[in-house]
Amino acid sequence: MKLLTVLFKKEVLDAGRDKRSVMAGLYYAIGSPIIMCVLFSIMLKQFASPDELKITINNADAAPALVQYLDSKEIIHSTDNDVKAITLEISADYQDKMREGRSAQVTIIADKSDDKLRKSIAELERALMRYNSEVASLRLLTRGIDPTVMQAVNVQVHDQATPESKGGMFLGIATLSIVLTLFYAAMNLAIDTSAGERERNSLALLLSHPLSSMQVVLAKSAAIAAFSMLGLAIILVVSKFAYALVPWQQLGFSVNIGFDFMLLCMVIGLPIALMSASLQVFVSFMAKSFKEAQTYVTMVLFVPMGLSMVTTYDIATEYVQWLPIAAQQHAMIEFIKGNALPWPQLFISTLVTLALFGLFSWLSSRMLKSEKVVFGL
Amino acid sequence: MHSIKKMKSGLLCLAILTVSLGINKRALADTESSSKVQLTPCYIENLPDRLLCGSIKQPLSYETNKGEIDIHFAVIPAIKQSYPTEAVLGFAGGPGQSAVELAAIFNRNLRYARENRDILLVDQRGTGKSFKLQCQSDDLVTQFAFNDALVDMSTLTAKETQGCKSEIKVDLSHFTTPVAAKDFEAVRQALGYTGLHLYGVSYGTRIAQEYTRQFPDSVLTSTLDGVAPMQQSLAAIGGAIDTSLEALLKRCKAQKQCEKQYPDLSNQLATLLDRLDHSPVTIDVRHPRTHQNIELVVTQLKFFSAIRMALYSHHTRALIPLTISEALAGNYSPLVGLLSSSDMVDSMAMGMHSAIVCGEDWPYLTSVSRVKHTQSYFGKLMIESLDMSCPVWQVKPVDNRFYQPLDTVTPTLLLSGGVDPATPPEWAEMAMVNMENATHLIAPSATHGVVSQTCAAKLVGQFIDKKSAQELDASCLEKDNRKQFFMNLNGTVSTQKTKNSTSQVGATYDIGK
Repeated sequence: MKLLTVLFKKEVLDAGRDKRSVMAGLYYAIGSPIIMCVLFSIMLKQFASPDELKITINNADAAPALVQYLDSKEIIHSTDNDVKAITLEISADYQDKMREGRSAQVTIIADKSDDKLRKSIAELERALMRYNSEVASLRLLTRGIDPTVMQAVNVQVHDQATPESKGGMFLGIATLSIVLTLFYAAMNLAIDTSAGERERNSLALLLSHPLSSMQVVLAKSAAIAAFSMLGLAIILVVSKFAYALVPWQQLGFSVNIGFDFMLLCMVIGLPIALMSASLQVFVSFMAKSFKEAQTYVTMVLFVPMGLSMVTTYDIATEYVQWLPIAAQQHAMIEFIKGNALPWPQLFISTLVTLALFGLFSWLSSRMLKSEKVVFGL
Repeated sequence: MHSIKKMKSGLLCLAILTVSLGINKRALADTESSSKVQLTPCYIENLPDRLLCGSIKQPLSYETNKGEIDIHFAVIPAIKQSYPTEAVLGFAGGPGQSAVELAAIFNRNLRYARENRDILLVDQRGTGKSFKLQCQSDDLVTQFAFNDALVDMSTLTAKETQGCKSEIKVDLSHFTTPVAAKDFEAVRQALGYTGLHLYGVSYGTRIAQEYTRQFPDSVLTSTLDGVAPMQQSLAAIGGAIDTSLEALLKRCKAQKQCEKQYPDLSNQLATLLDRLDHSPVTIDVRHPRTHQNIELVVTQLKFFSAIRMALYSHHTRALIPLTISEALAGNYSPLVGLLSSSDMVDSMAMGMHSAIVCGEDWPYLTSVSRVKHTQSYFGKLMIESLDMSCPVWQVKPVDNRFYQPLDTVTPTLLLSGGVDPATPPEWAEMAMVNMENATHLIAPSATHGVVSQTCAAKLVGQFIDKKSAQELDASCLEKDNRKQFFMNLNGTVSTQKTKNSTSQVGATYDIGK
């Protein structure tokens, strides 16, 4: 055990010397929440003050009441340059139809496949539907009928959501960035300490000491995991302050990174950090050179990233929710939403994560017994 | 302190987390900060969000021990708790409406303020769930068939009031505005808010002013929407109704299409009212919901009251010329439509309403103010009705100091609608004579309750955030939100085909605004 501690110190010292590798990992932890918050803030600004929807209204004089109604909903006729490619065509016989109580035709002319227009078209359609029901209500009133007869059922919604839980998608992306830190913060270090050490020919020297290869692998993994956890701690602290600056409340929800959440992330993050470190060490030793290791590790990291993505975009099936990373990230999201933690999934996936850590460590230590691997032949 | 508490609860939750954390945290914070108030999740009609409801015990009387009543309240949680020690307190109008039942409307009007602060709604004593003082009201069929011109109103009102009084069995003197204000303060203390932003509508502005007077240190800002000045009796409303109606008739006269369709509308209305006054009309109509044949007695009071209620909303204002003109021609369908919701007034606690008007608006009517108020139809009607019912209720008049205009330095935002048929802009000017830090904004085309009709919701949010009305850009209040008048049963298109409209057929389509 004492030997392991000495080895661990050596690895940390070694890794710490390569300042560029360390910083590259930490840049991600500091930068990703900040960049995301800037992007979200810009997006929110667009939501908060939606511009008037400028469209072309043809034959507007035939339907002054309708035009005024649309105006009150911030939909106006305009000839400016920034007018949307949406035309509302009021039919020539609009007035006659209205007067006789028949449906007066208005036509929306627009390209519905145009992504930029789709929202505006929907907005216009909604406004016209509301106008319909407004006029219909008044027409019933003038005939001595209570307009509530049109509302056969009074639909009430008891939303179980809280302001914390409404941020679904954003929470997914936030936790995605947190989970990925555990893989990317120490990626360079992992390659450097394994494939790099081999290329510097110091691996053979290390193994020539009276140590088991398992001890070497464990010490390396622990050192890498320590840096991963540092990255995790940093991204959590940065997230806590950065997310608090975004005016989420304008969208009707709030994102609070509390100390309890940070603690939870550190607890469930530790097994993932160990597993991530042992996986990267294993892959690096499999590769023949430093360069190759970089390629392989990057490729292998698509797996945890994919597992994290399915959770983020909520496309995980029942089975996927039990897998490592997916389950842990799901637990993080549930916690921040204020829901109950999925204990069985969290427990099983943590066990699997630790088992994988053991497996990868064992595989690496076996490989280090082969001269082919140690000398990169 | 707050974060440590959060962490503690978080650690606990790691072990035994079963229910929603968001609620737990709040409930914990609330109970710890003050006396034991049990907050339970609840839902109010038309608002999908989960609220927190609770109640506290308050003495019925502050002078003698007459037991306690429950004061119920609801908290609409802030989207983001930026100011956990502040809340926006909403006061309902009427008097007699339940603030909690109107949660959906308060939530909409205060949506910008709610981004950072809780909204607190308290059922004023005598309303909603707080010891509601309610008497049975007639159903629609009875109301339709009732002929107010035939019966002796004073005998009937006295009899009905007596019946209501024996049903309620409580001294209404405990339900006046000055007494009720203390309940709001007790709720504030129980929930641990250190400061409140007040938002009152209509009568709610009166209790907001009284609350500010009694508890100035609890008030951070005050928004008064449709202002009832302390020195003004609600009996003055008659003048406001007349002014609002005149503005509508004038608008019709000024519009070519309306003037053509409804020539001389003012005289038409006068003729009709006069005719109904002499001989009420009895006709068979269809029930507005069941479609059964029922009897409708159209009296002057019924017709004019329907017009009066229609003045409150732009939708129904658009129907007024049509209603007058059709009735004159013998078609009372539009009138039936306007009367169709007259049996939906259950939400109004008429006992509490009487406590306020008989304890505050009636006692100090002078001969001068009586003459002034009775100049209008509804002012006269109201004073007559108070003279009949208030002697039965025997509410102890409030202290004379109640009628002093509020003297305050609290930042106050006053909002008025230019065509408000209840609380016109002049009333706000009266209310602010002794307010040092007050701003009065008028939305020229708005009726009663400016925030729900205009962009004012945003202004209120900014006002609460900055605690000052100095930098508000109120230009958006100028937007004309009136609706076009109905020209026939189908809508706003004139019945006569004008030359203009025929020439448009086949004309070019590139017509702008």
